[in-house]
Amino acid sequence: MNRLEGLPTLRIDPARRIGFTYKGYTRHGVAGDSVATALYAEGVRIFSRSMKYRRPRGLFSLDGICANTFLTIGKMPNMAAETAALREAMTVEEQNVYFTARNDPLAFLDRFDRFMPAGFYYESMHKPAALWPAAAEVVRRAAGLGQIDSGFRFSGVCDEIYPATDVCVIGGGAAGMSAALAAAERGVRVILLEARHWLGGAFDYRSQPEEGDRPLYARSAALAEKIAANPLVRVYTGAPMVGGYADNLVTAVAEGKEDDPFDYRYMEIRAKSVVVATGTRERPLIFEDNDRPGVMLPDCALRLARTYGILPGREAVFSVGHDFGLEAAVALADLGLPVRAVADFRESGHDAGLVDRLAARNIRFLPGWAAYRASGVKSVTGVRLAACKSGESRSFACDLLVAAAGLSPVAEPLVLFCGSPEADGSTGFFLPKTYPPGVFAGGSILGFSDPRSRIDSGEKAGIRAAGFCGGDSSQEAPEKGGAGDLSPPPNAAPVWLGHPGRESKRFVCFDEDVTVKHIRQAISRGFNVPELIKRFSAAGTGPGQGGISGHNLPLLVHAIQSESAGCGPSDTAGNTGYRPTRVRPPVRPVLLAAYAGTGREMTKRTPAHDLQAEEGAVFRRAGVWQRARYFSQDLDVSEEVLAVRTNVGMLDASTLGCFRIFGPDALSALQRVYAGDMGRIREGRVKYAAMCNHDGCVIDDGVVIRTGENDYMFTTSTGRAGETIEWIRYHTRYENLAYHLVNLTDGTAVINLAGPRARDVLEKITDADVSGGALPFGGWMDFALTGGIPVRCMRLGFVGELSFELNIPASYMAHVWEMLRRAGREFGIRSIGVEAQNVLRLEKGHVILGQESEQRTNLIDLGLDFLWARDKTIRPVGSDALRQAENDPGRLKLSGIRMKDPAVVPPDGSVIIPADGPEKRIVGYVATIRKSLSPGLEGDVLGMALVEAPWAREGTTLAIYDGESPAGSDAAFSYAVIVRMPFYDPEGKRMRM
Amino acid sequence: MSLLIQCPLCGKRNGYEFRYGGEDKGAYPEGRELSAAKWYDYVHGSACTEGVVKEWWCHRLGCGTWFTIYRDTRVNRQVQEPQESARQGNGRTSGAGEIP
Repeated sequence: MNRLEGLPTLRIDPARRIGFTYKGYTRHGVAGDSVATALYAEGVRIFSRSMKYRRPRGLFSLDGICANTFLTIGKMPNMAAETAALREAMTVEEQNVYFTARNDPLAFLDRFDRFMPAGFYYESMHKPAALWPAAAEVVRRAAGLGQIDSGFRFSGVCDEIYPATDVCVIGGGAAGMSAALAAAERGVRVILLEARHWLGGAFDYRSQPEEGDRPLYARSAALAEKIAANPLVRVYTGAPMVGGYADNLVTAVAEGKEDDPFDYRYMEIRAKSVVVATGTRERPLIFEDNDRPGVMLPDCALRLARTYGILPGREAVFSVGHDFGLEAAVALADLGLPVRAVADFRESGHDAGLVDRLAARNIRFLPGWAAYRASGVKSVTGVRLAACKSGESRSFACDLLVAAAGLSPVAEPLVLFCGSPEADGSTGFFLPKTYPPGVFAGGSILGFSDPRSRIDSGEKAGIRAAGFCGGDSSQEAPEKGGAGDLSPPPNAAPVWLGHPGRESKRFVCFDEDVTVKHIRQAISRGFNVPELIKRFSAAGTGPGQGGISGHNLPLLVHAIQSESAGCGPSDTAGNTGYRPTRVRPPVRPVLLAAYAGTGREMTKRTPAHDLQAEEGAVFRRAGVWQRARYFSQDLDVSEEVLAVRTNVGMLDASTLGCFRIFGPDALSALQRVYAGDMGRIREGRVKYAAMCNHDGCVIDDGVVIRTGENDYMFTTSTGRAGETIEWIRYHTRYENLAYHLVNLTDGTAVINLAGPRARDVLEKITDADVSGGALPFGGWMDFALTGGIPVRCMRLGFVGELSFELNIPASYMAHVWEMLRRAGREFGIRSIGVEAQNVLRLEKGHVILGQESEQRTNLIDLGLDFLWARDKTIRPVGSDALRQAENDPGRLKLSGIRMKDPAVVPPDGSVIIPADGPEKRIVGYVATIRKSLSPGLEGDVLGMALVEAPWAREGTTLAIYDGESPAGSDAAFSYAVIVRMPFYDPEGKRMRM
Repeated sequence: MSLLIQCPLCGKRNGYEFRYGGEDKGAYPEGRELSAAKWYDYVHGSACTEGVVKEWWCHRLGCGTWFTIYRDTRVNRQVQEPQESARQGNGRTSGAGEIP
């Protein structure tokens, strides 16, 4: 189709053609088109079939307020073609059609609408019960929208920004731009959000001249120029607001333009105040077959022509109830669209100038008339208009029926901040009455219709918003949000809800095929308010989320109720106690990918990360860290384990938490959070300690040393390091304790040197005396390594061999790592990973929190009650719960198990049932189980399990379920016996070497 | 958490920077041993008041201070200390020895 040329309001560039495919055929649009306008220009009129009745649907609104033009674009279903910008090589397909949208064999369902009343599925789609699993599949294929290709992978880029601003203006029309400029003039920062890809709003396509004034589009263009030149205003177009939250937090999702580095961008705007200037949309007119392709809103028809250069039809009839409808008829007639008649259900009150212009163009004007029925099967071929009072009617042929019942505010963004709207007696709009602090509104959303007052209202909102942020004060310093003291003129137009007639084809909601008849059916069954009717009839629950039905539903409900109450349909909205249904974010459809965001994996690394990578380390995530889990590609740790048992190995343990606590009350703080008595730490000795929560459950374990008077150092597990300081401060918050906490985790590198040759290696890199006499098991010492590198060395026994835990400043770590490797080369030193450490400590029966414990495992269950000092003066967190649990017979006990058949290694976490005896229920689970690799244990499969006390006695046989086989089969179970721990070196001689 | 919270040291900050620390129930009750009922009431029982509550927050991504605020749970906003006693607003029944 040839586009209209020479219009100053065009937002397309006809010289730049964009090729795309539709249903497999190549089509063309132009730069600036949305997918819907490009298809419309190519002659597409039937875009889809409705969900229930398979009725043909076409372009109605251009703002994506219904699912009529939902298409599958690039394999992504349910894309709103009206708002999706056309891009080169897009592949566009119809969806939810059999054969094509033009010829849908299921269209016969439309004739059986009386068998599908409101809520019919609640009553019919469950019996006979045996039929429904199969029937559901059939129904599912006929209903629903779009199809997900399970092999599809979203390849777009979604990023996120979190700007802060003083004033956030939502809506880039004349009122919004005026608000933004007014606020910026007062020295505050402004963010302006606009859903379309250009500023201008409702003025953008209107050439309506005011007396002696510039046309509206020129006025909005001038405002946009001022906005662009203002350094305090940041503008985001193609960025509709999707959510509004407490304290004026605004979220928006922007669609990337061609040169943007993202496809979708999530924006979370921390604003001090908000101005909502989102304007109005048109309220659909209700008449028979008002959903036919060829019926569209006046705004849509005018924008097709003036914004996109597409004449929307060959001959048109208008049925409107507002002056803009008349304006659109005049403007389209001037662009070459033959207009056969303009009906306006208002008897009087029309803009005289527009009426004159209709007469001047010989366009038949019918005040007090409205559309009665659209004719045509697949699209409009004509319309019957009828007089509202007398019922006299006339038919007209047309292929375009431009119809609307008036304006509705785009109130959703305002409602998100303010709460439920109420009927405004003078404007007939549903708007919130009270605003929270910092929220303001301006423009046509409040009911202002003439351009000057829209701009003034926006300006006023901007001034007040700036004042709220502490901008240059004006005469009025607003403390609260609100609509200001400007008042729009009362709207005297009657609310027209349709001629009496066949209500089964008068659509209230397009997406869910809900008609006026369904609304009556719902009301007759006792669903008497819009919220209930919405749920029962499904009106407004489709992708449009009330875009079509939102304003009409409460008006219709009130009218129907008033009929039955015998007082006639209400003339103005002011009498209704009903309101539109609740609005929740997002108020526009948002791809899940946009909310998921970049999904970049961010982890921390230790200073020896690269060195370990060079050695062939296989890393795994541990909390926020990357840790080397294996040092062999085949994930076999036998060599690492043997190295530690017979030789020497080195492990990077830097991720463990390391803290210093000092001050006069440091000990008191430690006593509060640790279960043991920290007052009994001996000079030069390491104390193993555990922290519990109020339930007595172990949340952390580590070691504590006393480094000076009122000065301690303690370690935590990797996962708890981040929260430890908060934890300690929390549990001492009522007392004014004097202590300081320093998190040394990131600044302290830790290398565990372990194995019978460990001392030999260490002695090569230090002059200090590290013999067993000077540095015994369980002791610690500060000394220096070659080159003066300070080290705090602790002798612990986690893996059960002679080991030295070297704590050095992180900046030395890489150097010391290499020092150790060089020194250890003659002994064949090996780097070992976390999995090898896992096996080694398992053989010693040492617990790792989170593996041998879970949320409800307490200190006693783990056999660690020796860590609890019952009679401490300062009662530690958890002591009351431990006291209560002490004699509780129903608890799980940590026990060692050995598999009877060493060929079977059940997965960690397998559940346990008794092998003997009558009770066959789950009595525990396997925490960790591995094939042992250490000398003396080769071939044994050993593990730790948590088992209920009666079955935790040494020698008891347990059955372990493999988690997959059917429970009755023999293959499901393997057998283990409870054995004493530690499995390896029970007397602990090796670690005391 | 989109609400703004006023940290006593850092001023009004984004809710995301904070960790919630529960209702203000006072310090851990005195007494050699707590009965199971009193322990449960303190550790797990919550008043869940509809209205203004006093509660603890930690400025986790900032100064790390633990402090209390008053929050109106009906609108999920921080509010100023109400004129009448905050303890009545919390609606808690005290256990023996509860430190206010």
